Amino acid sequence: MKATRFNPAPWLFLAPFLGIFCLFTIWPLLRSFILALQQTYGPGTTEWVGLHNFRYLLTDPLFWKAAANTVRFTLGSLLVQLPIALGLALLLNRPGIRGRGFFRLTFFAPSLVGLPFVAMLFAPILEKRTGLINATLHQLFPLWDPEFAWMQEYVMSSLILAALWMYAGFNMVYFLAALQNVSKDLLEAAEIDGANAWQRFRHVTLPEIAPIAGFITLLSVIGSFQMFELSFILLNNSGGPENRGLTIMMYLYQSGFVVGDLGYASAIGWVLALTLMGIALFQRWAARRYEER
Amino acid sequence: MKLLRDQINRYLSPGALVILIIAIIAIIIAALLPRQPATGIPMWISAEPHFHAYKPFAREWNERHPERAINLVLLHGTAMERRMLSGFMAGTPVADIIEPNIGVAAKAFAGPLESVGFLDLTERVEAEGLLDKINRPSFAPYTSRGRIFGLPHDVHPVLLAYRADIVEAAGIDVSQIETWEDYFRVLRPLMVDTTGDGRPNRYLLEAWHTNPHAPSIILLQAGGMLIDENDRPALNYPRNAEVLARLITWMAGPNRVCVDIETYSASGHRQRLDGLAVGFLVPDWMAGSWKRENPGLGGKLKLMPIPAWEKGGRRTSVAGGTMLGFNRHTEHFETAWEFAKELYLSPVLAEQMFRDTNIITPVKALWDSPIFDQPDPFFSGQPSGRLYIEQAPHVPRRPSSPYVVSGLERFTNVLGALRRYADRNQIYDEAALRIEAQRLLDEAQAEFERFIGRNVFLARAP
Amino acid sequence: MPVKRLLSFLLHALLFFFAALTLIPFVYMLCGALKSKFDFAATVFLPAGDGWFGIGWDRLTLENFTRLFTDLGLPRALHNSLLLASVSSILTVLCCAMGGYALAKHKFRGQNLVMGVVLAALIIPGPLLLAPSFQLLYKLDLLDTYAGLLLPGLAPAFGVFLFRQAMLNSVPNELLEAARMDGAGEFRIFFELVVPIIRPMLGAFLMISFMGMWNNFIGPQIILQSPELHPLSVALNNLKGIYGTDYGLIMAGTLVSIAPVMCLFLLLQKEFISGLTSGAVKG
Repeated sequence: MKATRFNPAPWLFLAPFLGIFCLFTIWPLLRSFILALQQTYGPGTTEWVGLHNFRYLLTDPLFWKAAANTVRFTLGSLLVQLPIALGLALLLNRPGIRGRGFFRLTFFAPSLVGLPFVAMLFAPILEKRTGLINATLHQLFPLWDPEFAWMQEYVMSSLILAALWMYAGFNMVYFLAALQNVSKDLLEAAEIDGANAWQRFRHVTLPEIAPIAGFITLLSVIGSFQMFELSFILLNNSGGPENRGLTIMMYLYQSGFVVGDLGYASAIGWVLALTLMGIALFQRWAARRYEER
Repeated sequence: MKLLRDQINRYLSPGALVILIIAIIAIIIAALLPRQPATGIPMWISAEPHFHAYKPFAREWNERHPERAINLVLLHGTAMERRMLSGFMAGTPVADIIEPNIGVAAKAFAGPLESVGFLDLTERVEAEGLLDKINRPSFAPYTSRGRIFGLPHDVHPVLLAYRADIVEAAGIDVSQIETWEDYFRVLRPLMVDTTGDGRPNRYLLEAWHTNPHAPSIILLQAGGMLIDENDRPALNYPRNAEVLARLITWMAGPNRVCVDIETYSASGHRQRLDGLAVGFLVPDWMAGSWKRENPGLGGKLKLMPIPAWEKGGRRTSVAGGTMLGFNRHTEHFETAWEFAKELYLSPVLAEQMFRDTNIITPVKALWDSPIFDQPDPFFSGQPSGRLYIEQAPHVPRRPSSPYVVSGLERFTNVLGALRRYADRNQIYDEAALRIEAQRLLDEAQAEFERFIGRNVFLARAP
Repeated sequence: MPVKRLLSFLLHALLFFFAALTLIPFVYMLCGALKSKFDFAATVFLPAGDGWFGIGWDRLTLENFTRLFTDLGLPRALHNSLLLASVSSILTVLCCAMGGYALAKHKFRGQNLVMGVVLAALIIPGPLLLAPSFQLLYKLDLLDTYAGLLLPGLAPAFGVFLFRQAMLNSVPNELLEAARMDGAGEFRIFFELVVPIIRPMLGAFLMISFMGMWNNFIGPQIILQSPELHPLSVALNNLKGIYGTDYGLIMAGTLVSIAPVMCLFLLLQKEFISGLTSGAVKG
């Protein structure tokens, strides 16, 4: 009937999206296969090198250093940030908490600052001696070493700290939304059955918020794996001492846009992309298994 | 009116409306903004003090040649690096005249020789006798595969600045110091813990394994090298291992005398002012930078030649550097060249430069100027210019290679690894550390060679 | 009960403690923006002096802001940020809302293919496209132009996906059918009927896209080379390079850079947070 006649409307609606999507997503995606097999000096000068980029990448100590740093940052972010975010959400979700709106806005505010500006803000905070943390802690506790070398010796911890400040409230908002969907009846029933606070959390709340927790974890992992701005700006556009702050994204940037080898950058991009796709698929598989149980 | 508001409100929330209004206003402003008028031939400068020193010179030039005006643009080093390389590699706009620092300039030499974005100056420099007028070794870092791509701006010798107030208050006489060994022995009494928290509040030298500044200066002073004269990697040169091992004995273990102070940060200035370290390795430009950034140090410091690595050894080193080059596609080369020569050979500017930035000129004929003999209140009345010039002929030679920066990175990585090795095994003996240092350097050298060998463009060059 | 009240007090105290930790960096930035670089290194918050509370009120200065807005060209960067963020967010929302509408409320041949490609594209991480996009922009001669930065970001797969999900449930088919019966054109239906229904989603996605472009750093860092085109993120990082020890100046610049987003957020707060979480809770 109607559907058999060609209706241009949906295609007209899709046209702007599809046009740009094909030109700037699909085409570069296809190009990146080719580019990964080349060595370039800028986008104009190219040379075929076959699989050499990948072969070199697998034994490139800098790449592995960057990968290790990135994994460290990701794990640190997950293990520190998410429990704190969940804790804050649980606190805020308790009945009888006053000023909930104020606290929620306060905790959420840092995520509005944006990564590049968080990095600029944390540059003076993490300084030795005159920095906010060292100066304050040294005044409060004279035993604290004012020369504590945040950005020299403990680069990744410092970055995790900055990310914690920025994202804890952001993730808290997700958890809070999930907690508000937890059935009050179930919780009351459990309380009547004599379950203590931990048991109620473990057996009622946690299963209810598990899907969203999985989702937040995935988002955090994907975001953390692509971390660039914090180390780039805080370490003055370098990898920092002994490349302790070098992340995969920074290495990709340096290879592609400082050295000028877009081919190697594409190879790094592929390794990163495959890793992230693997993690995403794993998360979906795990989530499905969890639901089936 | 209310109807309109309701109508809008149906489609757009207030926030969305604000974004829409912002967009409209921003587009109107963008449309109204005047196209950048051609204000002259652009010259990119990455060192702020250079920029301020050149400004009056350029103004005067522009008055003399209004039709050939020069437009000075200040860019941060990494911004210049990005814009310059993007321009050389991808054709985005690049200034006609570029004054990059040594590390940035070298990165332009990584591609095929015909893709180097700088104009080849070899014939011009030779024809006009500049090789003899300007300190010849200073051309070396800007010469790639035999072709000269830049004019050197400076010599940048390094001296040791020490806290004369602290040293003299303790009644210590530094004139007996010749080697590093003397230096640390004589000043040792100054390593004290005044607050009683178990940490010394004063160390003898600003140098640390996480900061390449001091290690690279000492490496060059001691005769070590990262890249040899033929632009081949030389990380595992035996002298390098010796330097690494001795540096660790200074930085770790029971006889630690060095302290970590950040070279370019606000807290670093504060730490120096507070007297956390007694001695600092200070190239001429850094002396100028301290005068502006840390005026509180004025009158507290004195300069002396760097203590020698071994008896009779070199008493200076070299750090940093800037060249002036031209965009290969410049349409104003003759004007740019004339301006550049006036700029770099001008006695007036050389004196101005010294007054503003403490940087001494590489033009040998100008070294006799009396301005360099004036007492410098910042350095307790010493003639700082003369002290730097005395060491200028002795600065070590540096090669040109796009890999100098990554070589130095690998060198400092080995230094860090050696530090961890020493702490893990509680080995703080120079001879024992040297064996491990050599082993680490051999490893790094193999990896470095592989890294350089990967570049198909350099490998193809003659 | 006293135990309960004590517990409640402790919990509130804990919340206040965390709130203080969260707010201190903001206060630090504000104080720093009002100090000279020498005062910045000498005191943590407000400069010491002999004014009230032992604070040197007379040493506070607006000098940092004056310098930013006169010598250091910040207004240009602010304008660039506003332009790039507002234009890109509006166009992105249009692109995605229309695309999502077609996928949610129309049946057409090839629909499954398009939907499949969009779903697949959801898991392509941005970094993979960085190098080939740069090469593409080079070939299109779009490097160092606003368009070069704007165009590639206008069609995010997840935007289309979000709008499709939002419209599947919230836009009733009967309404559209009735309008079609009345002879309304497709575009009129979209703008007259659909847009008001998805207004909250539009607001949320506008805000998300606006912030995405405002806080974009690597994009302009790579694509835009002329300082006249730099947005705040890149311009401020370049200032940090030159005046790295002048933290008062950098803090003032950071303050200027985050204030517009904060203001916008206050206007779009409700939609933004519900928009952020709705996708997650439903999906």
